[in-house]
Amino acid sequence: MAESSSAAPEIEERSLPFFEAAERGVLALQRCQTCGTFLAPVRSRCSSCGGTRIAWAEASGSGRVWSHGRLQRSFLPEHEGKLPLTLVWVELDERVRFASRLAASERAPVRTGDRVSVVFERLADGTPVPVFRRAD
Amino acid sequence: MSTDHPLSSRAAITGLGMTELGRVYGRSATDLAADAVLRALADAGLARSELDGLLINAGISQGVDLSLAQAVGLRDLALQTQMNGYGSSAGQMIGYATLAVAAGLARHVACVFADTPLAPGSRAGQAYGRARAGRRGVASIGPALGFAGPIPYYALHAQRHMDLYGTTQDQLGAVAVSSRAWARKNPLATMREPLDLAGYHASPWIVEPFHILDCCLVSNGAICVIVSAAEQARDLARPPVYVRGFAQAHQLEWDDTAPSLAQRSSAAAFSMAGCKAGDIRTAQIYDCYTFTVIATLEDYGFCKRGEGGAFAASGALGPGGALPTNTGGGMLSAYYMWGMTPVSEAVIQARGDGGERQVDRADLVAVSGNGGIFNYHATLVLSPAAS
Repeated sequence: MAESSSAAPEIEERSLPFFEAAERGVLALQRCQTCGTFLAPVRSRCSSCGGTRIAWAEASGSGRVWSHGRLQRSFLPEHEGKLPLTLVWVELDERVRFASRLAASERAPVRTGDRVSVVFERLADGTPVPVFRRAD
Repeated sequence: MSTDHPLSSRAAITGLGMTELGRVYGRSATDLAADAVLRALADAGLARSELDGLLINAGISQGVDLSLAQAVGLRDLALQTQMNGYGSSAGQMIGYATLAVAAGLARHVACVFADTPLAPGSRAGQAYGRARAGRRGVASIGPALGFAGPIPYYALHAQRHMDLYGTTQDQLGAVAVSSRAWARKNPLATMREPLDLAGYHASPWIVEPFHILDCCLVSNGAICVIVSAAEQARDLARPPVYVRGFAQAHQLEWDDTAPSLAQRSSAAAFSMAGCKAGDIRTAQIYDCYTFTVIATLEDYGFCKRGEGGAFAASGALGPGGALPTNTGGGMLSAYYMWGMTPVSEAVIQARGDGGERQVDRADLVAVSGNGGIFNYHATLVLSPAAS
């Protein structure tokens, strides 16, 4: 991940472990300590068993493209001049779905079912965010 | 085709009130809602004092609330609440109203949707894109990367269908073209210029595979229906449109291997109505996007899994087709009143009031409502004849 001197953005407290892991290049997910289900963050209760013993865990960062599309129009200032961008909806091997996009370095088109793995990029405000590249 | 379900045909839609719809400025959502309720009462031939139930769905702008009763001048309500199930709200309200009148809690329940997301000079997409901004946490990552508002999610659902089943851009376009063909016959429709596939392809991309013409309109306005106990319905001004079946299904996290919400909801509603998909003569499908129509056609059993695109491209949905669908132009070409768009058109068709767009045998009409990103679903089966 490219270094950045941007001030850390103000992030809601419950999400801090996710972004701290992202700073280290690690994709963190929450995991139910009772039944082992991985959860789409941020939850205070397991969506599978209802348990409340939830902890952050390192995810594999690998998964498959559940679907993809090309963003051609956006109201966000930071998308100006960068469109189109390839959006991907990734189903991680932990069975958690992540709405993200392809890494800026990825040029080849993807298809539903392709294997991908996580890398991190920074938003304009310095926030590290998970994006995906095609797995070899 | 028969049913012994105790709730089938216990209620009927007896009044329909529609305000002007589209780029309607200078009127509050409450004013539009009150107008729709009063129009629906007049349509049914009911006095204000006879209305004893009010269910309100405020839409994205949240501009109408329980003070509506005061605006309409309703003084003696036995039942009143504000509800929200997004695109499934209209079907839900009619379902709850049916339960209420069947149980004797009320006799005539107004179900009203009103929304004013459009302001002069604003772009339609912004009205909905804004609604999801402003989160600071993991949930803000998707929007920051481009998943702003519902369009990207639905576009990616469509792309998955294209990758898995070979659904084509032309087939998505066929839904838009068919809706426009119907809208041209609807005097209230916003978009009435002719549209062919070339025009569809020429429209700007939003999120591939969606052009702007794959996405519904955004509209200001209000629509109200009155749900009456079946025993009361027969003596009113207009022919009753019976609620033969109704059901809901909801799920925030969906599982690709389980039946979809639309499958579950339609199966339950068809079972209550005592019918099968093949008995349905016209479908009014929640068309927030062209792809939603293709997905719902499959889920409701009007065609096989993966064949919704080909079904649409065959001309089945358009005027003269095998399953006339969204016969008022739907939300793609007529007006976006959430689930009240398909509900109002179903009532118009079941009554035989469609004029130039009236379908031949509207004796059994399926209505779908879909909210969230396929998270909330409601189905109605409506008919001019009781079961």
